[in-house]
Amino acid sequence: MPGTDLRFQVQNISRVEGEGSLHLLVRDGAVAEARLQIFEAPRYFEALVAGRTPNEVLDIVARICGICPVAYQMSAVHAFEDLFEVEVEPATRALRRLLYCGEWIESHALHVYLLHAPDFLGYPSAVELARDHRDLVADGLRLKKAGNRIVATLGGRAIHPVSVRVGGWSKAPRRADLLALRPELEEALSLARSTVRIVAGLEGPAFEREPRLVALHHPGEYPMNAGRIASNDGLALPPQAWDQAFHEVQVPWSNALQSRDSDGLPYLLGPAARIVLDHEQLHPLAREALDETGALESIRRNPYRSIVARAIELVHATAEALDIIDAYLPPDAPAVPWQSRPGTAAWATEAPRGLLFHRYEVGDDGLVAAATIVPPTAQNQAAIEADIATFAPSVLGLPIDAATHALEQLIRSYDPCISCATHFLDLSIHHEATELVS
Amino acid sequence: MTMAAPTIRLLVCGSADRGDDGAPLAAVAHLLPALTAAVRAHLEIRRCVQLDVSDIVDVPDGEACIVLDTVVGIEPGEVVTMSLPELAARAATITPRSSHALPIDQVLGIAEAVRGGLPPGAFVGIGGHWFGFGTMRSRVVRAGLPALQAAVTDAIDALLVLEKV
Repeated sequence: MPGTDLRFQVQNISRVEGEGSLHLLVRDGAVAEARLQIFEAPRYFEALVAGRTPNEVLDIVARICGICPVAYQMSAVHAFEDLFEVEVEPATRALRRLLYCGEWIESHALHVYLLHAPDFLGYPSAVELARDHRDLVADGLRLKKAGNRIVATLGGRAIHPVSVRVGGWSKAPRRADLLALRPELEEALSLARSTVRIVAGLEGPAFEREPRLVALHHPGEYPMNAGRIASNDGLALPPQAWDQAFHEVQVPWSNALQSRDSDGLPYLLGPAARIVLDHEQLHPLAREALDETGALESIRRNPYRSIVARAIELVHATAEALDIIDAYLPPDAPAVPWQSRPGTAAWATEAPRGLLFHRYEVGDDGLVAAATIVPPTAQNQAAIEADIATFAPSVLGLPIDAATHALEQLIRSYDPCISCATHFLDLSIHHEATELVS
Repeated sequence: MTMAAPTIRLLVCGSADRGDDGAPLAAVAHLLPALTAAVRAHLEIRRCVQLDVSDIVDVPDGEACIVLDTVVGIEPGEVVTMSLPELAARAATITPRSSHALPIDQVLGIAEAVRGGLPPGAFVGIGGHWFGFGTMRSRVVRAGLPALQAAVTDAIDALLVLEKV
């Protein structure tokens, strides 16, 4: 009805990591406001690392997330090693990719099978899905476990690993340790290829848009720890230079800072961006799986097809993990020596949910004086809101429950990790009393 | 001498470096030396920083499990014992802290469906006061640790009696 406001409020978005809600204001049939409200409390990690040594920082930032702790360690360790000009051994570089493969496998398997698949198959949650499709969910759990085993073997434990150090590792694995993972990973590779076939056939809403996609790009490998920050419109920046093209902004409805590009516009990170920008660097088995789906263009345009992107990356991560294990020879020493130096340490790596940027100011005393951590979910918030505003009119005529479900399903397509996004500290002090006195 | 196979899997959740989240680890560390060798032979201790579906699915048929965690939704220091199905049913009011990726009712519900039933066992929880990274355990939870140990011992005894029956 003309002149009336219609408000949608999804109070607690389910099947995402963390706590958030969605507020939608529709005025005269058009979406006037789409706000992803992240009310999970700030977690102050940027303040927690102040005064700590680089190696302490690696263990602290891993605690930001129970699903993607490796990503936080990887962005931090590469930032410090870049500043300190540390050259790690090739075996260390390979092991870090293997560790990241483990995290991608466990995170993507969790999302594909337990968080996202129920939407496509018409179930309210993975519990009901598991009751009807027990073998399917059991496959997903086995995939996830294979990833957890890699992280546990390299990192000392499956959640919040503790072995990553500046210059290498606190303890490098023996070849036998990695070979023991092989049977489970061979099965995981087979399951991952099946996953691609299953999810490629899932029908989702025919919603399309033209997002600006951003991911690392490396000419010789699928991006994890190295590469330039690239976009589908020609951006190419070194991984230290995220803040030359992007910046954080605070919005009143979210405890997580949002990010915008230099034009003030949103951009999208994550598996879809990586697949679009880096599909030529996929492992041959993953490239073959992608080609079989013919889904490259739909992954770029339709957010619901992110489930296919994650499945392709499951194939990539399991196949590359097997390759790394087969070629592995332990390094001469777990870590190479290094010397601290003052300056700015910055780097970006590819977390399961997208590009994760860290910047640290290191003082003359070798301690971190200040930190900025920009997680992918925080960066994706604005793009999610923009997509919701575009998509919402198509569901406004539905009953409220159906519209709510459709909007939740769209949000889940981005696999947001709200716990990660609220790590930030934004402290503002007004010295009003002092000013009055003076 | 051949040891008896463990028949009770003790899934100890939480992180020692997150305040009261480490209460289960502290309780088990103090509890184990106090148990008889015969009882300890029945136990397999597994640390689960966060309880995963696979932690429950992997409990073999014929074995039981006790999940031990710090919870919110009850008074700090208060100890509760309940069955796993009861925990799933009451997840909205009594929430274990160590379940990040999925809420506890979904962890248990998926495990039940995949496994074909939950293993016999129990959940033992202690109410937590604070969980900040790098914080000590609160006074009230430290005071509740003996009760937590006693509740775990009772849960073990109950399962061993059940086993004999």
